[in-house]
Amino acid sequence: MTRYILSRVLSAIPVLFVVSLVTFLLMWLVPGDVASQIAGPDATAAELEAIRQRLQLDQPIHIQAFRWYGNLLQGDLGQSYLLHRSVVDAVFERLPVTLSLAFMSLVLAVIFGVLLGVLAATNHNNWIDQVTMTGALLGLSLPDFWFGLVLIFFFAVGMGWFPTGGYTPFTESPLGWLRSMTLPACTLAFTQMGVIARMVRSSMLEQMGQDYIRTAKAKGLPRGLVLFKHALRNALIPVITLVGIMTGLLLGGTVVIEVVYSLPGVGRLIIGAIQNRDYPIVQGGLLMTAGIFVFVNIAVDILYTIVDPRVRNDR
Amino acid sequence: MRKQKRITNKARLRKALAIPALVLGIAASPVVGQVEGGKLVLAQSANPPSLDAMTSSSETARNINMNIYEPLVAIDENVNPIPMLAKSIEPSDDLLTYVFPLRQGVLFHNGKEMTAEDVKASLERYREVGATRGMLDKVEEIEITGDYEVTFHMSEATPTFIEGFSSPRAPAVIIPAEEAAKPANEIEIIGTGPFKFVEFVPDDHVTLEKFADYVPNEDFDGPTGFGGKKTAYLDSAVFRIIPEAGARIAALEAGEVQWADQIPVPAAKRMSSDDSLNVYEARQWAFLTFIMNWNLPPTDDVNFRRAVLYAIEPEEVMAIATEGFYDLNHGWQYPGRTYNAGDIGKEIYEGAHIDKAKEFLAKSDYDGEEFLILTDPNYAEHSRAAVVLAEQLKPIGINAVVKQLDWATVLKIRLTDEGWNGWTLMQGLEPFLGPYGIAAKMRGDQTHMRGTADVFEESYNRLITGKTVEDRQKAFAEIQTAIYDLVPQIKIGDVGRMQAGSARLKGFKPFRAPRLNDIWLED
Repeated sequence: MTRYILSRVLSAIPVLFVVSLVTFLLMWLVPGDVASQIAGPDATAAELEAIRQRLQLDQPIHIQAFRWYGNLLQGDLGQSYLLHRSVVDAVFERLPVTLSLAFMSLVLAVIFGVLLGVLAATNHNNWIDQVTMTGALLGLSLPDFWFGLVLIFFFAVGMGWFPTGGYTPFTESPLGWLRSMTLPACTLAFTQMGVIARMVRSSMLEQMGQDYIRTAKAKGLPRGLVLFKHALRNALIPVITLVGIMTGLLLGGTVVIEVVYSLPGVGRLIIGAIQNRDYPIVQGGLLMTAGIFVFVNIAVDILYTIVDPRVRNDR
Repeated sequence: MRKQKRITNKARLRKALAIPALVLGIAASPVVGQVEGGKLVLAQSANPPSLDAMTSSSETARNINMNIYEPLVAIDENVNPIPMLAKSIEPSDDLLTYVFPLRQGVLFHNGKEMTAEDVKASLERYREVGATRGMLDKVEEIEITGDYEVTFHMSEATPTFIEGFSSPRAPAVIIPAEEAAKPANEIEIIGTGPFKFVEFVPDDHVTLEKFADYVPNEDFDGPTGFGGKKTAYLDSAVFRIIPEAGARIAALEAGEVQWADQIPVPAAKRMSSDDSLNVYEARQWAFLTFIMNWNLPPTDDVNFRRAVLYAIEPEEVMAIATEGFYDLNHGWQYPGRTYNAGDIGKEIYEGAHIDKAKEFLAKSDYDGEEFLILTDPNYAEHSRAAVVLAEQLKPIGINAVVKQLDWATVLKIRLTDEGWNGWTLMQGLEPFLGPYGIAAKMRGDQTHMRGTADVFEESYNRLITGKTVEDRQKAFAEIQTAIYDLVPQIKIGDVGRMQAGSARLKGFKPFRAPRLNDIWLED
């Protein structure tokens, strides 16, 4: 097991190296630079050149690359050009927002997705199945952006139950945090829930047709036990993989929700940095996000071996 | 002994308030019924790039900074310069020196009193890091001539110097001398304004609180523009960063914010029937312009540029680009402003002149090559205008192609001679501040159009050195004539800005930045 974990961790290093290299090169290939953003549309060429010199952007790309990797090896991801703080600080300040959003939406998506999937599978081909799967399809189809605004309109403006946006840190007010996260998490969870429900349904249906389920039923086990102890446990194995991928996607894909709900998360940080050509934030932020993505997937692989010992034994 | 004219605060204020009092019926006397206390929450679309006011010309920074900091000279409601931290402005007859006696007893947010040393240090820093430091180019030396007096020694007489110096674009604000020694964006946020900085959480909010020891300018009877006698009634103000317009509106309607910027026109129309809200129309917010690249065919050919000018139907472009909130205006100054050049170009501007456009196109060397219209989606008016312009130019035989890129890329490309022929751009603060910014972008090495003509250079010099207003008006009229003849830029129209606030918010008047002084929240 230790060897397995070690090999998975070591395999992450080249992945992160490639991510950092591609990010570095991409940012230098795209036109536009941060000097224009700092100086504005009326800047003179001399003013722009002065800013580039101050930020050392006038140096050849290989020198900048050496400096970037040299600093990276010392754990320094550089300083943001526009936020006037280190990249590590800027990302870590926003991680709680993105992690809160991703975690809460994932919990909601898994709980309701699994329940709806099981409900649909156990009522295969009747109206409950059809209503549940239509709901799941709706969740997959509705744009986050639009659905978020609809929720704001009904539950924040109309009912006044939740704030229309903004973030309250958990440490400041746990109830405030819950209120500020509920609508964004529900918006994000609605899409993910649809994916999970459909996956659980098909996986459950597959398991229900297996010999061991027939055997369990034949020996007179209660229906609930058959469903939840035997069928669901095996049906969840592909779902765990899906949840692992989703976790990564949620960490990087919350930007639309962050914009709609005005949440100061990592997604908005990186998108803003791309728009403003704040290279250190883009490079460092993507590297850190990719790192989280990679390690979440390693954790999922390890979890996989716990849920299904056959996987571990196969290796 | 030098002879000096004294520009006093009272005289300035009388002049400043005369027009609005007559036209709008606004009384200059203080309004009664103000309520002390409370927290005002404002919503704006983006982060301030910097709270080091000297270094940023961004609107989102100005919205906040103009409440924290103050300059020596500010602008009043009619964009005339007025003394702010200066007691008065005393230019010599030959305009080679300006003496600025300072107001005494003005406190910084750290409790220290402002002196001439702070003023000199701040302005020397502005020469180094100021985003529009060119405004001090003609200042040879800043001399401390008393504990509460500084004197500017000019390299040459520039009658329009004070107008430029009062610009709030990237304001030449006064900060403590010890902060002025620090590099750009590394200062403590300390000013002399009625509100002091508390915290900035990027992408979330900026919090300010009332500066209890604020020393108002008693030389004025009340507030005007970014100056005058300011009074803070609110305890605190929070600028929330809400990028999505729908979310800003929702926050306003839910009562979470009491003022919001950049309201889409259809939403503003809907909100105007809601008694709990006030919609504010800032009509003269920006010029929508179409800039020509003089260094790339086919726009290097003046007859081709004239063909473009005559083919455009401005009303159609404006109606679509601005969702219906616009004014048609051929002038390169707003109507009613001192330097408005009357009817020059009006005939050309009104409607499309297709026959004339075809005539100019035939005279040009145009051979069907692409006419690249550079635009960006970050400002919806830019991209919508580009699409309509392209469609208007195609029928006369111009192969117009819209090239839409993100704002950062557009800013880079427009500084080169290649890759664009026309560029859609809203110009906000330049026309608001008068003729100088507009004229400056058509002369010298850094023109918007990548070239220039002698007439722009000569007229600009007359504009900034003209001794009388009439001389300067004549110079700007020459510039407007040349714009309609040589077509460096095409004026499409005037764009407005919609803002909205809670009906509880009292005393608010739209200006170039929301002013937190002299507004209050009713219970």
